[in-house]
Formats: sequence, structure tokens, C-alpha cells
Amino acid sequence: MVDAQRLDDWFLSEVMPLEPALMRFLRRNWRNGSEVADLRQELYVNLYDAGREALPSQTRAFVFRAARNLLINRALRGQVVSIELVADLEALNVADATAGPERQVAARDELRRLQIGLDRLPPRCREVVVLRRIEGLSQREVASKLGVGEDTVEKQMLYGMRALIDFMLGGSGKIRRGAAAQTPKAGEL
Amino acid sequence: MSDHSAIEEHAALWRHRQEQPDWTAQDQAALDAWLDESTAHRVAWLRMEYGWQKVGRLASLRSPAPAPRTRRPLARFWRPTAMAAGLALAIGLGSLVATDSFTRHAYVTEVGGHATVPLADGTKIELNTNTKLRAALAEKQRTVWLDRGEAYFEVAHDASRPFVVYAGARKVTVLGTKFSVRRDGDRVVVAVVDGRVRVEEVKATKPPAIVTRGDTVIAEPAATLVTPKSIDRVESELAWRRGLLEFDKSTLGDAAQEINRYNRKKLVVEDPQAGAIRITGSFEAENVDAFARLLRQAFGLNVQEDGDEIRISS
Repeated sequence: MVDAQRLDDWFLSEVMPLEPALMRFLRRNWRNGSEVADLRQELYVNLYDAGREALPSQTRAFVFRAARNLLINRALRGQVVSIELVADLEALNVADATAGPERQVAARDELRRLQIGLDRLPPRCREVVVLRRIEGLSQREVASKLGVGEDTVEKQMLYGMRALIDFMLGGSGKIRRGAAAQTPKAGEL
Repeated sequence: MSDHSAIEEHAALWRHRQEQPDWTAQDQAALDAWLDESTAHRVAWLRMEYGWQKVGRLASLRSPAPAPRTRRPLARFWRPTAMAAGLALAIGLGSLVATDSFTRHAYVTEVGGHATVPLADGTKIELNTNTKLRAALAEKQRTVWLDRGEAYFEVAHDASRPFVVYAGARKVTVLGTKFSVRRDGDRVVVAVVDGRVRVEEVKATKPPAIVTRGDTVIAEPAATLVTPKSIDRVESELAWRRGLLEFDKSTLGDAAQEINRYNRKKLVVEDPQAGAIRITGSFEAENVDAFARLLRQAFGLNVQEDGDEIRISS
């Protein structure tokens, strides 16, 4: 058993940085783009559960192998099994996808990406995120500055956080707005 | 709305609530319980944590100008100049950057990591494996604290602002040059590729050592040794910048120790005979398996893999 802190550290420092490459891999190899986020989540659960037993020595190869297997299983489970797709996946050279030196991403590119991500947010949402996260105002200060309620600020923040994070990690930055329109108190979750 | 999206939204809500001033111990307990409920919750939370920290880190890369807090129009903060001035962060293999304040940044690489960080003054710092350093650019002085590990510096020339690196009890001062500093606890090694640097004790009791191109300084608590070397030799000590390690008749014991700096999987040399074998050549720092294979083939050593260890014996 791997202890919890070490497992979280591994996930944060070795798995998460692969997300941009992983998303490219999933999008390239899965036809239904709207399912990619679900696939990612399922994959993360599998990886984390596998990590509980032992951490892999080669995280990158491990992650992409697991991604490939997940795609194959999904394809087989699908109602209409596309033999073609499965064959494609079997032949997929995972090494290709794993070779990219993701770590070389320049800081400048990341900062530019953050800028673009911010620009893509709806105007009110962007304003809230910038004031809160970048200018460092408190939720109450943001609310009074913009003349809206704190619950509005919270709602905008939640959307902004998710969209921005998604975009920063190589996603489209398009998030389905919450059905959880009621925002429960933390204790009620 | 799919499962994952609902979970992700909850994770965002928790993350957001946790930043509020009225966050209580009960809230934290409720969050912990939620995280323990399922792996899906936990990974969504970790992802949110990772992404949000990344956003915060980038956001804090603002120009270090001691801005009078008159609020500028929001859009202006992201001007290219502000970006260039504040551009400074390391992205190594899972390297994480934390900021102490707007003018002081910390850079960290994990074992096996390697990252290049540009400072706002044009200086370039390259971090080797398992390294932590902090940098502060002030009006009169540029300062770096090497907390552990090894870094290579290409310092932008600025006669009005000396560049000072603190490594343990040693202080390295330059105006503009290329050099590396490595720190293993109390031991500090400085290798100069170009220009001149001054190495002295922080609490100077002895005169400083002036080190020039091709020189290496090895400083231990009690002694400072300057060894003139050829520039080739210094270059080979900096081979890590190309992902390589070069050994020139090093003992296997030393070589293993060096390779272990870069890898989670550790080489363990079990007996002195094996440890005394001399090794020459250049090796990929992160390819410990290939190195072990080579030992078996070239020296007929016994190589046994055991979890996170590779045991070597004669």
C-alpha cells in the first residue's frame, strides 16, 4: 500500500502534468468528442486506484497504456462495436504519444494560454475571476465592487474556475453549466 | 449532465469554499469525508487543486514594480511588458512553483526534473534534478538562494546590480557570466564557464576566492579549494544540461551516487570491489536500467532488481 500523501503527490506532480498530452491522445483516438472528459475522469480513477497498490516507475508510459486499454474496453463495450476502431487502437503505438517532451512547455506559452483562457470567459465571469484570483479581493469585496450578491460571485467563480482549468490543461474551456444551480452549503454536499 | 461533470462541480465548490475566511474545522471534516467517499471525488479534487494552483501561480507573475495600489484597468495588467517582466516559473517534470511574494519566486524540480527559468532581468537559470532555489530581483542587487541541488546560471550583465548566489555558508558574487553552483548539504561546488566570480563565506573570515573561466571551486565548511581545470572539464561537469552524465575514470560508487540523483529507482552497490570499478563514458542520466544492463554486460556484475532498487554486486 502506498501512503495517501505520497499517492496524492504522485498524482499531482506526475500524472496531472500529462493532461494536455493525454487529452490530445484521447481526442485523436476517440470519435465522440463529448465523451472525452468522461473518459479522462474514468481513467484518473483507474490510475489512482492502481497507484494505491504501487506507484509505477514510468508514469508516462503507464498512463498512456492505461488510456489505450480504456479506449479499447469502451469500444468493445459500445453497442455498435467498430472492429475498425478496435483494430486501430490495438495498432496504436503508444510510444509515439508518450515521446513528446511536455516538460519543455515554455512559461511564456502557459501565460499566453492563461490570457486566452481568460479572454474566452463570459465578461462578467472573467471580471469575477480576475478580481478574486488575480487581484486577490475577497468574495465580499468583489460582490460589493460589482454590485452583485455574494452568491452570484460564487456561481461565476465556479464556472470560471472549471472553464479556465479545463482550458489551461488542454481542454476546450467549454464547460456544461451546472445543473447544481442550487449551491448547497458546504456542509450539505 | 454526466456524473463527472457533477463531481467536478462539487470539487470546484469545495475548493472555492475552502478559500473563504469562514472555512471551519467542521467544513474541513466534511470535505475529508467527501474525498474519502470515492476515488472519483478525490481525483476530481486533485485535478481542481492542480489547475487552480497553476492559475494562481501564473497570475502572481506580475511585474515586481512596487505598484502604488491604485487599481489599473484590468486588461492592462496582462500587457506583454508585464508578462515579460513577470515571466518566471519552472515547469520541470512535475515541478511546482510557489511564490513568497510578488518579487520573490521559488523554483523546485523533483528527482529527474530539469527546468529552465528566465528571470525578468534577462538572466537564465537552469535547474538540475531535485533542486530548490529562490530568486529576488531588487533595485540594487539580484539575489538567489540555492536551498538544495544544482543550477546553471547565465547572468545578464548589469554593473549596477551585482548578482549574488547564497549556497549554505557560501556566497557567490558576479556581474555577468556563466557558471553553475551545486549544493550537497554543506558542500558547495562552483564551476565557471565564462567570466569571473567571487566565492566567499557568508560570514567572511577569510579572503574571497576569485574564480575564472575553467576553474572549479569546492567549498566545505572548513576549507575552500580552487582547482584550475580545462574548460572541457567544466563543460563535462555541466553535461547534465544535455540530459547526460559524463564519467572519467570515476568509481562505480561515485557514479551510482550521481545517477541516483536523477532517478526514483536507486542503484545500490553492495560490495567494495564492485564499488571500486572505474567507469568512463557518457550516460543518459535518467536511463538507470540501461546503465545497470551495461554493468552486467561489460563487467559481469550481478544485477538484481528489487522494487525501487537495483542491487549490484560482484
